[in-house]
Amino acid sequence: MIFESIARPMLVLHAIVGFTAVFSTTHHAAYSLLSALGRQNQRALRRFGWIAPSALIVQVLLGLALYPTYRVRVRAADFEHNAPFFTQLFDFKEHLAALSLALVIAAALAARIKELPSKEARWSIAALSCTGALFVWTAAVLGLCVTAKHPV
Amino acid sequence: MSERLLRAGLFAVAAFAIGYLLPGTQQLPVFFYHPVRRVIAFTGAAPSPWMRYYGDLFYAACVALLAFGIALKLPPRKTPLAIATGTALSLVALDVLFYLSRLLASV
Repeated sequence: MIFESIARPMLVLHAIVGFTAVFSTTHHAAYSLLSALGRQNQRALRRFGWIAPSALIVQVLLGLALYPTYRVRVRAADFEHNAPFFTQLFDFKEHLAALSLALVIAAALAARIKELPSKEARWSIAALSCTGALFVWTAAVLGLCVTAKHPV
Repeated sequence: MSERLLRAGLFAVAAFAIGYLLPGTQQLPVFFYHPVRRVIAFTGAAPSPWMRYYGDLFYAACVALLAFGIALKLPPRKTPLAIATGTALSLVALDVLFYLSRLLASV
């Protein structure tokens, strides 16, 4: 399997980048919410507008690289026979991660514009960013639960 | 320009949500990957350990990029941003509810 020999170090890296993704998307959500409430901080919003999607893209790529090993060594060998709930839990985490990617990229792209958006636009960006951050948090917690049950 | 980019982003998010949910539920043909044999197939369904996640994600990303490009090319819409945002997030919520129902069904 591809990357099987380095699956463990990649899993550790996946966790570290995961923390970066969780906290950067949370920062972006917080700053976009403050912006919607009238407390402008465009500089911070622009800064996290590239950190959050970058961290999330790297995190998703690491997850995609680890997925074949998980699929054979964990899911097919263990979860499908002994813990079918964890199979579904992991799938749910993957779906949340995919959806969060679209939400965070859209929010970050819209928030990086230098001109000051309207109040309605700022609330829209905040809604996208907060939903994205919520999904990233949930995916991270579910990922830790699955890894605690059976790491690659 | 900012609002136009935001509207295009919302359109892309809505397209991503639809493009991510439909192939799996309707068994539409996507790319499948076999992790042991390291081969790719283009089909609607395949037994484990064939993986359709890459294919679904690729499909959704292509649909979202296409929607983003189209939205940028089209003349600006008058739909209130709140409605556009609500629609995009409702489609995302629909995806989450569907996958949550599958998770809860396995309990």
